[in-house]
Amino acid sequence: MSLAFAPPRSVPDLAIPSERHRLSCGATLIISPRAGAPVCAIQAHVRGGPALDPVGREGLAWLTGALAEQGTRRRTEEQIANLLEPAGGDISGDSTGLAGTIVNGEWELLADLLCDSLIDATYPAEQVRRQRTRVLDRLLLERDDPRQQGGLRFRKLVYGDHWLGRPAYGNLANMARIRPEDLRAHRATNWVAKRGVISVCGDVDAARVKRVFERHLARWKSGTMLATTPPEFPPIAPRVDAFRADRQQVHLYLGHLGIRRNDPDYAALVLMDHVLGTGPGFANRISRRLRDELGLAYTVHAAIHSSAGILPGLFTAYIGTSPQHARTAIEGFKEEIRRIQTEAPSVEELELAKAYLLGSFPMGFERASRRTGYLVAAELHGFAPDHLTRLLHEFAAVTPEDVRRVAERHLHPAASCIVAAGPLTREELVAIAGVPTRPAPRERAARASTAPR
Amino acid sequence: MSLELPVLAQKAGAAIREHTLASGLRVLLVERHLDPVVAVMLWYRVGSRDEDERNAGVSHFLEHMMFKGAAHFGKGEVDRVTTLLGGSNNAFTTNDHTAYWFELASDRWEAALVIEADRMRSLLLDPAEFAAEKAVVLEELSMGLDDPWRRLTELAQESVFGRHPYRRPIIGHADALELLTVEDMRAHYVRHYRPDNSILVVCGDFEPVRALELVEKHLGGIAPPRVAEVEPFRPLPTEPPGEKRLSMTWDDEGQRLCMVWPSGAVGSAEDWVLDLVTTILTGGRLSRLHRRLVLEQGLATTVSTQNDARVDCGAFWLMAEGAQGVAPAKLEAAIDGELARLRDELVPAKELERAKRILASGEAYESETVSDLAEEIGEFAIDADWRMSLETMTHIRAVTPTELREVARRLLVPERRVVAWSLPKSTARAKAKVKASKQTRRTSAVRKSR
Repeated sequence: MSLAFAPPRSVPDLAIPSERHRLSCGATLIISPRAGAPVCAIQAHVRGGPALDPVGREGLAWLTGALAEQGTRRRTEEQIANLLEPAGGDISGDSTGLAGTIVNGEWELLADLLCDSLIDATYPAEQVRRQRTRVLDRLLLERDDPRQQGGLRFRKLVYGDHWLGRPAYGNLANMARIRPEDLRAHRATNWVAKRGVISVCGDVDAARVKRVFERHLARWKSGTMLATTPPEFPPIAPRVDAFRADRQQVHLYLGHLGIRRNDPDYAALVLMDHVLGTGPGFANRISRRLRDELGLAYTVHAAIHSSAGILPGLFTAYIGTSPQHARTAIEGFKEEIRRIQTEAPSVEELELAKAYLLGSFPMGFERASRRTGYLVAAELHGFAPDHLTRLLHEFAAVTPEDVRRVAERHLHPAASCIVAAGPLTREELVAIAGVPTRPAPRERAARASTAPR
Repeated sequence: MSLELPVLAQKAGAAIREHTLASGLRVLLVERHLDPVVAVMLWYRVGSRDEDERNAGVSHFLEHMMFKGAAHFGKGEVDRVTTLLGGSNNAFTTNDHTAYWFELASDRWEAALVIEADRMRSLLLDPAEFAAEKAVVLEELSMGLDDPWRRLTELAQESVFGRHPYRRPIIGHADALELLTVEDMRAHYVRHYRPDNSILVVCGDFEPVRALELVEKHLGGIAPPRVAEVEPFRPLPTEPPGEKRLSMTWDDEGQRLCMVWPSGAVGSAEDWVLDLVTTILTGGRLSRLHRRLVLEQGLATTVSTQNDARVDCGAFWLMAEGAQGVAPAKLEAAIDGELARLRDELVPAKELERAKRILASGEAYESETVSDLAEEIGEFAIDADWRMSLETMTHIRAVTPTELREVARRLLVPERRVVAWSLPKSTARAKAKVKASKQTRRTSAVRKSR
């Protein structure tokens, strides 16, 4: 070869330069100036999310965010759209707040409209009715969509009755009950400054950004920090579910409760994921085996680290394949999981995964919205300013035995939940997957003791 | 070699230079130093447009095989090397072109050139790999068959493009793919994967003289093969004789509507006008169709349009998802009302200006990353002329209300369109009972399996 392909030997320094301020209202503001950036992004995160949905009004937190930019005390929905859209601006919301982007030169307009929506959204009755109807239509389509149903049922099996086990936008019955006054009350009570984290990234002057946000958010009610309760989930145990639909492919989900982001094994699990089932191209074991060698699927992956948050995420192995391949796919998943639990990966495999992570992290922050997303996450998790560099050093220090050890500790192939959505019945799935048809006694007991209602 | 190239243009903070190698490979160097990253995109002028009924889908399948081994980089090596270097890669196939991209840190992007040279020169097409990857492509096809929107748009596309290859899905059909051989693919590869049929775009944080030296070093030695150009049968669609109506069913509650009109090629005068039409009709919350169908009358949950200008000719698409309980005829009537307004009345100056501003501000997003910028410039380059990426807004700003009305009157009339509906199976069954004795021009539902 005319070129030797070798990754750089040293661990790069990586940081998203930013400054952090506490605004007078109590919210945290993080500013990351970036000269020459064509787009400016702003994210306003409010702690809480779907955890704050009242029983019987599930979806309320999501709708509070989704409708926040559809009318405020100062502006109608039409006035907001008239200002925002010609400037290339966009604001969207969900249960955790608002996020927007705009052509860089117009960032002050975005800041104004986003803050206005954050503290002064009025939830006009007509907009609420309309949005609710659209969500109900969407839910009706999702009811028959195997991919959607497969994902939802998998979460339900793993998380049980916890809010993580249901869609953030609720269900048909609950969504129909939500009224404008519910939304106003939810916003007034829960969207408060002390729970707010705002990040801004673009070609901006930091001092000016701070002044602008101080001005726009001067009236934001300070409120109180969120009280949290420890979550309860069903035990990790084999459970199956199926959604029968006449389709070409079956969507298979296999996995269980995952890890929190602050798990001490996080760095080793990121490496494990890249050896086992995620990463660029098809260099990982599961893609190589199930896609490249067996030709079972176009889409196949497995990971535990990517959903890790303040609460535990999921370990999910997913494949979309023809129903006649379902057994081979499930067996393939289990065998690869067992293999990584019993045999440490080769030095070459691990070095490949490390080289990717050390080389690609610096390239992951080209988009302004990616930077604002990271800065909010860093604040929520309490990452130190040098977190990214430290994380890269942690990746570099992981050994093959570390990967095997964390795989053994955190993966449970025999106790996995399995969901099939497509042309397979539950009985066929049970026969293929070889899992118990009834909950294990231990599971039943645990469920009874943790049933919230 | 040291070659100073003049800067021909600036776009989104990048300096654009162009050079053509002796082999005919055109090189666009797009230099921008915002991030320490370089995108390398190699574009081949080959897509489903270059296929016939027998080898339909071969361009897309070949794109998969380009990751399955060449003389120096064996099976899986492209991904392994990309991973090793902390980069990313992928590829895509359209009706008109196939593109391969890498994004790598600026101290190691040369690797992309070495890989591209290897697979342009010496793709293996190993029979065992060919068979394994065919199974993957057939699974990808199955995935598409499970998507009602994809089925519906393919049904409409089959009608709107007459006998032109554009009528076929890019991925092809299962029966043709099953029969495709390694020899078929090799012939396709040799014919189209040649330096004089490709454009290389290097975009990002590099030094242009050095970059060109590297391109020359790795790709300069590949001579175009002596293969007779065989152009497939590509008759342009004739003017439609009248409205064509199609329908299919799907086992959910969705009422999906797809309307499509034949339109102009990329870079044609009507191309720019139709960009404005899409913005006026469905660009944002205050666009005409969104406002009327979604906000005011609650007839649809979503509505969108797309100006799909291709190399030989194009199509203007309109897609709407009917709200529950809304009669399909009522939704169609509301759409027809807005289209008639576009044909009958001049768009007010303020509304036109708003649409132009929306399109202008969208350019920032098309150049946010080096890959965005490389794709924007490369796509115009391979389909028409890269300078069009600079001139788009000049053309759009020049469009007058009268021109817009003229294009709407000429193109967006009911007699020229294909109207395709996907309706719930339950609705279709009820209708069938009522209308059993009536003759319609509808085609039968798309088959579930082949």
